[in-house]
Amino acid sequence: MSTTQQGTHSLAFRVMRLCKPSFHVEPPFRIDPTDLFVGEDIFDDPLAASNLPPLLSSHVSKSTDSSDLTYGDRFLLHHPSDAMGFSGLLVLPQSFGAIYLGETFCSYISINNSSNFEVRDVIIKAEIQTERQRILLLDTSKSPVESIRAGGRYDFIVEHDVKELGAHTLVCTALYYDGDGDRKYLPQFFKFVVANPLSVRTKVRTVKETTYLEACIENHTKSNLYMDQVEFDPAPHWSAIVLKVDSADDSTGSGGGIYNYLYQLKFSSPGSAQVKVEGTNILGKLQITWRTNLGEPGRLQTQQILGTPITRKEIELQILEIPSRINLDRPFLVHLNLTNHTDRKLGPFEVCLSQNSAHEEKTVMINGLQTMALSQVEAFGSTDFHLNLIATKLGVQRISRITVSDKREKKSYDPLPDVEVGIIFAGFNIQYMFSCHLKLVNISSHMYING
Amino acid sequence: MDEPSPTADPLTNQFGSLNDLAHELASLQDLATRGSWRSILDKVSRARSLNLLSNPHDHLIYLSYNVLALSKLRRFTDASNELDSLHDFNSHHYKYETYPQLYPSRSGSMVPFSLRFIHAQLPIKLGNRQEGLDRFYLLLNFVRQRIKEKESNSLQESVKIWKKRENFVLNCLIGHHLGAKEFNVCLDLIKDLINHDYLDPVLISKLGYIQMQIGDLEGAKGSFNRVETMLNEGKDDGSSFLGEVEFRNLVNRNKALVYLVGKDYVSAVREYEECIERDHADIVAINNKALCLMYSRDLSDSIKVLENALERVPTVALNETLVINLCSMYELAYVNHSEIKRTLSNWIARVAPDDFDASCTRV
Repeated sequence: MSTTQQGTHSLAFRVMRLCKPSFHVEPPFRIDPTDLFVGEDIFDDPLAASNLPPLLSSHVSKSTDSSDLTYGDRFLLHHPSDAMGFSGLLVLPQSFGAIYLGETFCSYISINNSSNFEVRDVIIKAEIQTERQRILLLDTSKSPVESIRAGGRYDFIVEHDVKELGAHTLVCTALYYDGDGDRKYLPQFFKFVVANPLSVRTKVRTVKETTYLEACIENHTKSNLYMDQVEFDPAPHWSAIVLKVDSADDSTGSGGGIYNYLYQLKFSSPGSAQVKVEGTNILGKLQITWRTNLGEPGRLQTQQILGTPITRKEIELQILEIPSRINLDRPFLVHLNLTNHTDRKLGPFEVCLSQNSAHEEKTVMINGLQTMALSQVEAFGSTDFHLNLIATKLGVQRISRITVSDKREKKSYDPLPDVEVGIIFAGFNIQYMFSCHLKLVNISSHMYING
Repeated sequence: MDEPSPTADPLTNQFGSLNDLAHELASLQDLATRGSWRSILDKVSRARSLNLLSNPHDHLIYLSYNVLALSKLRRFTDASNELDSLHDFNSHHYKYETYPQLYPSRSGSMVPFSLRFIHAQLPIKLGNRQEGLDRFYLLLNFVRQRIKEKESNSLQESVKIWKKRENFVLNCLIGHHLGAKEFNVCLDLIKDLINHDYLDPVLISKLGYIQMQIGDLEGAKGSFNRVETMLNEGKDDGSSFLGEVEFRNLVNRNKALVYLVGKDYVSAVREYEECIERDHADIVAINNKALCLMYSRDLSDSIKVLENALERVPTVALNETLVINLCSMYELAYVNHSEIKRTLSNWIARVAPDDFDASCTRV
């Protein structure tokens, strides 16, 4: 892992990654002497049952006397849980191991003088180099180490929060005067690779006023991750409640383990009117903190999570009321409302029933001038009006493509969806009509529509 | 096996000393506590070839020591073959009632229980983990059936012993699952043990260590607080294995771990020093203190702590984990570390028991 320059140097760097130590585990061959000295069923014999225990316990107390220096503890059980082979003894990391984005890289660096002469004025630097940048971790230029004696050492510990993926190099350099008074320069390089510990998949669903965010976090490391905190940090004007978290008992999913979280998000603006921002809809970010071996922490933030894009709605046209009985060839009024959602005055407007591309014949038309003029509407204001229509055919017909256009800005907005209405004869054989067109009447009596 | 001698009654003066239990048992046991496993192999071999073992139980006990010695010397295949030579632990050959002249009015199995344990653990050491785990779970079943039997026959002492064995097998299982990082299983098993059997501060502390290992620091602190409360209230289970010094040291060591995880190495060292003051041979405190010194950038003192321990209390300090740590420190501290490691290695060869795994020095 380390490469050095050619030539003889008095100094050399020794480096060891200092991630947290681990508990040593190794179930041993340690037994209770009862299970060795006698047959397993001997205590069924009442004679043995009364006489053996005193013999065994006197033997055991002799062999655990600490002044009697034997290796008895390597073979006899002192406490029943000794059989686990897990005494709380800690072991230093025995290899570099894997390192992941969001963790902290910590290393012991020792610079040794293995020559027979003192070295002087040692300027030591340690930095991390990645593809994108160099980060200085240590620099003794301002106060160089005055001297390192023959056979002596200077130690330091460096830490670096890992924020990039891929190849990293720990570069250790020493500039010093050697025993001959020559100024020497020693660079040493220690390479390691940073991998991604997690992947996060999100799904967004909007149901009426509420947005639901489902987050699925998958563990890509080789060991288990204990999810310390997974918090949703909402964007401005959004608030979040967490609905479901994988239970703490399932927090240890090693290599491929998946954790699921569900959040309920609500949008609320400071004023009472809803201001919908055009374009992409940023919901917020997930902040994830986890712990591995002996609480070694890691943290990551996702990128901005996007909701469904909102299209800008400048004006809104709504049908407020349609009469319950619409008679053939008789004019009727449809009550409409036009609302201006922008912060500026819009209009004047024109309302008509526009043609579709197939140029189908309309059976319900405007009675009178085919376009209706409306005056300007104030910012955030609205206006009510009535459209005078007439139907020319019986039965279920459509009021289709009520369209409003802005005369000044010369643009048309999307037409309203078609509305079905039932057309009947005025005052005629109602009973007959009812029995034939029962469905029709039912439909027409429920013709109060909102947009 | 030889024809048992009908005239001798080896179990009349039965329980005066170890030698009453089996031929020269005291000597075998002495060799074992010294770690002289090779000498045990010699002794067993000699006893067999000179026909010194007259009774079936002698043969079984010598076989047990032999299998244990082979296992200790990491000759797992040889140990396995020797165990296989018994064919079936439950055979009538190994029952007291098969030899009524030798064991009048005694019945049941004369197989030493450790043979069953070694039989389960060997496959794991040989790399066949699944087979070993299966055997452990079958053994657990077997033990539980024996407990039911003895209970229904009101054999109090036997029930006690078999319950101890149940506890032992569960502890082995936790250890093996822990080694394979199967933490959820471990947590379930250990919590089960704690809730069902007894309030054992060592067990609760170990639960804390597992919680700490997986990163559940709050859980670990909770477990350690439970243990400290037990110390302060003078509570533990009736059959306590913990003397007062041990109990106090346990609490200090648990505290030290919490400091260590929080990177407060100075406080951790202070806790460990309290332990060492009370008990010079508290090797967990000594080892872990050395690591704390190293994490505080004091490599020189960390080395000194471990070297001192090996000098002062070699029979407890001579532990493969401690030696691994010391060698890692040497590799960091010295460019030419092979020399100092060889010195250590030579010293170990003179002093260590036969079963010490010298490969830990990486020389």
